[in-house]
Amino acid sequence: MVNPVSRREFLNLLAATGGIAAALRAGTALNLLPGSASAASLDLLNLGSNQRKIAILGGGISGLTAAFELSKQGYDCTVLEASHRCGGRVLTLRHGDLIDEIGNRQYCEFDDEPHMYFNAGAARIPSTHRNLLAYCKELNVELEVFINENKTSFVQDDNMLGGRPIRNIDYTTNMRGFMAELMAKAMNSDELDAPFTESEAETLLSMIRSFGDLNENDLYSGSFRAGYAEGGFLKHGVQKDMIAFRDLLKSRMGRQIMGANEGDTGPILMQPAGGMDQIIRGFLNHVGEQVKYRAMVTSVKVTDKGVNVAYDQDGVRHSLEVDYCFNCIPTHLMVGIDHNFPSDYVTAMKYVRRGEAYKAAFQAKHRFWEDLDIYGGISWSNTKSRQLWYPSHGIHKAKGIVLGAYDYSGGMYHTLMSQEERIEAHLADHEKIHPNFRELVEKPVTIGWHRMNHMLGCSARWSRNLGRGWTHEEETLYHTLQAPVNGRHYFIGDQISMHSAWQESAVMSAQWALSHMDAQVRAELA
Amino acid sequence: MLSFVPLDVRHKIWGLANRILLALAICHLTPFTSAAAEREPYDDRYCTTCHGTDGRGNEGIEAPRLAGMEDWYLRRQLKNFRAGIRGYHPMDTAGIAMRPMAKLTDDSIADIVAWVGSWDYQPAEITIEGDVQSGELLYGVCATCHGMDAKGNAAMGAPALAGQNDWYLVTQLSNFVVGYRGRHEDDRYGQQMAAMVGTLTDESAIRDVVVYINSLETR
Ligand SMILES: Cc1cc2nc3c(=O)[nH]c(=O)nc-3n(C[C@H](O)[C@H](O)[C@H](O)COP(=O)(O)OP(=O)(O)OC[C@H]3O[C@@H](n4cnc5c(N)ncnc54)[C@H](O)[C@@H]3O)c2cc1C
Repeated sequence: MVNPVSRREFLNLLAATGGIAAALRAGTALNLLPGSASAASLDLLNLGSNQRKIAILGGGISGLTAAFELSKQGYDCTVLEASHRCGGRVLTLRHGDLIDEIGNRQYCEFDDEPHMYFNAGAARIPSTHRNLLAYCKELNVELEVFINENKTSFVQDDNMLGGRPIRNIDYTTNMRGFMAELMAKAMNSDELDAPFTESEAETLLSMIRSFGDLNENDLYSGSFRAGYAEGGFLKHGVQKDMIAFRDLLKSRMGRQIMGANEGDTGPILMQPAGGMDQIIRGFLNHVGEQVKYRAMVTSVKVTDKGVNVAYDQDGVRHSLEVDYCFNCIPTHLMVGIDHNFPSDYVTAMKYVRRGEAYKAAFQAKHRFWEDLDIYGGISWSNTKSRQLWYPSHGIHKAKGIVLGAYDYSGGMYHTLMSQEERIEAHLADHEKIHPNFRELVEKPVTIGWHRMNHMLGCSARWSRNLGRGWTHEEETLYHTLQAPVNGRHYFIGDQISMHSAWQESAVMSAQWALSHMDAQVRAELA
Repeated sequence: MLSFVPLDVRHKIWGLANRILLALAICHLTPFTSAAAEREPYDDRYCTTCHGTDGRGNEGIEAPRLAGMEDWYLRRQLKNFRAGIRGYHPMDTAGIAMRPMAKLTDDSIADIVAWVGSWDYQPAEITIEGDVQSGELLYGVCATCHGMDAKGNAAMGAPALAGQNDWYLVTQLSNFVVGYRGRHEDDRYGQQMAAMVGTLTDESAIRDVVVYINSLETR
């Protein structure tokens, strides 16, 4: 057998053959070297004395990215936004804000204070979303850490321990203990440790012991890691009773709890201080004057020389002739807007399904979770409301905003309810975790993204093959929609990414389209 | 500087200053939202978000063409949705989606009906295929109420079919056949229609009849 090349060796080889740049890129992919902290080098040509007109359809974060970058290079941009606000699915709710859910319009009645806000759409920024983070830096958007997993928050399931909520730390400590016990048993059998050398097997076993805090007999008998039943500071701590494995297995929530800090939410998460829409405001500080609000695009016609856009504003139909157009209007809405797109493009537009996210929030009359040693993080329950988020910010202030429901896959359950039914459902669900929840909260807001005006959904769903990845046909449809029409019209937004529902994807899709257009402009001007 | 002011008052001053700055910034950038203290207004003319430019229908949302719809039919359906007479069956997902959107006052309904009447009407794009001859035979029953030319008959309460989105006609016919529409006890016209779809025994019959309607001259 050939010895596999170690990563270090591989890098040395690359540096010798492909030059330092290739080695640097590969190093990032192999997670050896830190990634660049700046955006994926967008190197757009400055127009100088040349002129180009641009229409940006939709003031989502991808559209604003395009407007910002192009304005810097001397392009004449117009952003057409159908809503009264920019940001689309980046929506921060504060005192007095309109929630434009069709059939369920609400005004947010939270107290008027800087920390009393709710991110009703995007809420978390993973540290690996470097293009978005680079804009935060460039736009002076102050960031703070977002607490996602919190060991003192609760896990509640009617099927487990008679529905009694337990702390996340009790759940995970005991679960890891039992899992480690099983693994240690396996490692102690000759057959299973055969593939390992003696020292490897010993290393592995020692890690397993520490993973689950096993005793000297490789058994789990409870752990101080779950905190103390009493004492611990001025007196010796008393260990809590173990929770029986069987009892924990009555719930399937481990699938959620044990993976809370993995995958997309594995990196450190952040949020802009004061609300996610600080990023939108940051962009608008530069391109705000180019935005037309309540300007609803009604027609997009691609010509040989550019794109003709029509839009309604104040009851009047206007038209706009541009050289290039960047469009982040959700595809499912674009299907209903006049256009002259080629038929394969239309097929792709119609193929995309719309997601069904739902969120709700309450104002807490006082920060009751802090009395329970909870500062930020998420309590999970096996209810339809699923999640209860305690704010990461505003610690020790009088009040705070809690997220009272977040359903990103089956959001229609609550969306189909009336406002009163939604609120009652969340109150009843969270009473299982905080018995007097109903008395502790007020001023609810609910956001059914499937009904939000000018959005009607959350995040393109390309794959119908859930869990089994994209089919070949889906990849083809995707590339069809990513490619510009006639080199003039570009679809952008997280809908033109293979990882929808993240701002990073929206930003990157815009950057991809900008680079593509830039190459054309360079060729024209050459 | 403000150390003589109690902490909570300082917070308030700071908050106020921030808000004034913010209001100024907003005034500067977006004249529309200049009335920062006032609440953002809204109205009920949101139909085109789903039903598309000039209400020409949007397959992406399963929202049918409204332009060209008779005012009496539109009014009746809006009121049916509002009352839960339509969109009541759990399998009628598009109908259910429409219900909260029809939570409208009579005034709003009147306004919307007038607004829809002002739209430029264009017949819908043809999206399905089938057997026109077979469809023509099947259409015989339909003609009784909807007219030979499928242009509708107000006296019978039967709307025009020609020019409507064909995918929508297919969905609605299927809904009538399987009982997702027209079975509500207060839906008099819906019940009439449900009683008439007996000849449409399978999916291909439904497609054929719609293909025939597609072949008729529109308005
Ligand atoms: C509940 C929820 C949770 C999320 N959580 C996160 C998270 O934690 N972290 C994260 O990074 N991302 C998250 N996302 C995803 C993130 O919000 C989106 O990926 C991103 O905001 C999409 O941006 P976009 O540029 O594609 O445009 P969108 O936000 O989709 O904007 C489209 C714009 O087009 C406008 N428009 C529509 N029709 C017209 C028309 N006819 N004419 C003119 N304008 C029109 C709309 O008003 C809107 O402003 C979340 C989203 C939701 C809903």
